[in-house]
Amino acid sequence: MTPSFTTASRLLGRVVANEALSSSMIRLDLDLEAPTGFLPGQFCMVNLEGGSRMPLSRPLSILRTEGSRLSLLYKVVGHGTRLLSEAPVGAAVRVLSPLGRSFPERDDDRPRLLLAGGVGLPPLWSWFERYGRKGDLACFGGRDRDDVPWGLIPPGWRVSLDSAEGGAGPAGMFVGNVVALAESLLPDDAPAHHVLACGPVPLLRAAAVMAAQRGWNCEVSVEERMGCGYGVCRGCVVPRPAAAGWWTACQDGPILAAADVDWERFGLPAAEALAAYSDGPSCSAPAPEASA
Amino acid sequence: MSNRYPWLTIDPAGPFNLGPRTFPGRVWTASGCFGYGLLGDDISAPGRADPFAGIGTVVTKTITAAPRTGNPPPRVWATEFGALNSIGLENMGVERFCDEVVPRLVERGIPFVASIAGTRPEEFGTLTRRLVVAAAAAPCWHGVELNLSCPNVARGGVDFGRDPLTVRACVEAARGETGDRVVLAKLTPNVASIAELARAAGEGGAHGLTAVNTLVGMDIDLRTGRPVLPRRRGGYSGGAILPVALAKVDEIVQETGLPVVGVGGVRTADDAAKFFAVGASAVQVGTAQMDDPFAAADVARALAAQ
Ligand SMILES: Cc1cc2nc3c(=O)[nH]c(=O)nc-3n(C[C@H](O)[C@H](O)[C@H](O)COP(=O)(O)OP(=O)(O)OC[C@H]3O[C@@H](n4cnc5c(N)ncnc54)[C@H](O)[C@@H]3O)c2cc1C
Ligand SMILES: Cc1cc2nc3c(=O)[nH]c(=O)nc-3n(C[C@H](O)[C@H](O)[C@H](O)COP(=O)(O)O)c2cc1C
Ligand code: FES
Repeated sequence: MTPSFTTASRLLGRVVANEALSSSMIRLDLDLEAPTGFLPGQFCMVNLEGGSRMPLSRPLSILRTEGSRLSLLYKVVGHGTRLLSEAPVGAAVRVLSPLGRSFPERDDDRPRLLLAGGVGLPPLWSWFERYGRKGDLACFGGRDRDDVPWGLIPPGWRVSLDSAEGGAGPAGMFVGNVVALAESLLPDDAPAHHVLACGPVPLLRAAAVMAAQRGWNCEVSVEERMGCGYGVCRGCVVPRPAAAGWWTACQDGPILAAADVDWERFGLPAAEALAAYSDGPSCSAPAPEASA
Repeated sequence: MSNRYPWLTIDPAGPFNLGPRTFPGRVWTASGCFGYGLLGDDISAPGRADPFAGIGTVVTKTITAAPRTGNPPPRVWATEFGALNSIGLENMGVERFCDEVVPRLVERGIPFVASIAGTRPEEFGTLTRRLVVAAAAAPCWHGVELNLSCPNVARGGVDFGRDPLTVRACVEAARGETGDRVVLAKLTPNVASIAELARAAGEGGAHGLTAVNTLVGMDIDLRTGRPVLPRRRGGYSGGAILPVALAKVDEIVQETGLPVVGVGGVRTADDAAKFFAVGASAVQVGTAQMDDPFAAADVARALAAQ
């Protein structure tokens, strides 16, 4: 069912555009040394070459590809994304792409409910571009009007804002989170939708709850800190329900069925993680202090 | 031999002898940074064969007697200069490793050294014996690397790698089982005198030392004031630690003369050449290999081209 793993390549390239699309979102276009492709939901690992090279590449979802052109959409949250944002046109980059499991392609006539929060947009944007149809409901959630990359939002998409204050863009927007927007548009007797969600953990959790309550299928794009992106470091683990061990976000994911995620433990801040796992898939012996 | 490094007294690109074995190359992948050596063969790059081309040996992820589920996430964290990790030795255990991994490595002819860790010195012997049963007939299995950076249950949790007597006992236990395979003792840099530990390993019969494992490090999330890793401190690695690793290798070579496999921060042929300059027999690529599956292959390729 799920089309997975088109083979990945390590490709060198250059920045051709690195431009803000909204107050928080930047579109990065790269020209790579060879043509590349992807399935919606797949991601790549990106690093700068030369003096700005980071110790580890950063995972970013793929927005689109065209020939050897690869486009990404990102938000500055820390050191790595700040370095990316400072990369001028012409800067040398390296990517490993495409990686991970994609969102399922459209394999039945059920309408889709697409829930995208912030920089969770790329996988759903590309899914919609490829498989979207009349009858699907696509929702994007942003912080405020200035946060929404209006030029990228396809016609027909609904937008929710955390705050209605200030900013340019259409008036009379839905205020609240993107799942609340979808709930407000789908009556209790709405036909079964297949939910696809990508965004911050609270959005994913709310999407999973909504789908479970209505008995709908739901796939989410999970995020975890990554070391390698290709399965060799075991850094990106995501807890499975019933303490049944881990998925890796980079190989088993990033797209997972919502029912396959342990929502009690997924995405916890570091400070809460040890206590939360004291009975679960945690260390069976004293932890090695340093390495490993 | 080499235009860029005319002072080199070894061939950085050719095979070399270490203890009882001849290794196909001097650029290896470091334990924990290239899985069990079974992933990545389908990754391509223009102008390159595959990520394994030219790699002298894959040191597989450390295995223990029983499987381990490892630490809660987040497990990896990139700082500005180096990487932090706290994987917690998640691994499939020696039985599955021998049943599922070894036959596939052998089938593909991938040269490998198995990294092992125990909770008491004798366990390094039992683990090695199990590997001998599984792999003794395979020419591509070169030996074991003892990961000594773990708490010693029998001695109140003191790290194996910090106590010369324990280091010696672990090496002796493994050496008693290995026959014609190499025993490398992997040392932690988090000690006052690494040479003393190297000497102890040598006395136990180690054919060489792998230096170094990760440095103890930590980072703070400034939004919360809390450590970024659930277990607070983790292992620090990557380009930032190269000068530290180089100094440790130099100390071991100068004070003991034992063969050393240098590891810590290697990203380029120049980095590898620095380790060769202080007398390392080979180098391992860890964090850089995670960052780029072709990292070790590219270092080997660049060394061959110099
Ligand atoms: C499969 C996958 C796909 C991804 N796709 C995208 C994408 O398309 N666009 C995009 O912008 N990001 C995406 N991310 C997240 C992105 O990888 C991280 O934001 C990035 O690695 C952060 O690196 P940094 O060095 O800037 O931040 P760090 O310095 O590592 O972290 C800085 C601070 O930001 C916090 N932080 C880290 N990540 C996030 C986050 N995602 N949201 C909020 N706070 C965060 C950290 O906890 C920390 O406090 C994706 C992640 C994964 C796993
Ligand atoms: C994610 C990760 C996992 C590691 N796992 C192991 C391990 O299982 N056993 C081991 O001996 N060393 C392990 N190491 C340490 C490396 O093998 C290496 O000694 C260290 O990272 C320094 O080299 P580098 O700077 O090239 O990464 C690990 C390192 C990292 C970053
Ligand atoms: S990021 Fe290394 S295993 Fe997923």
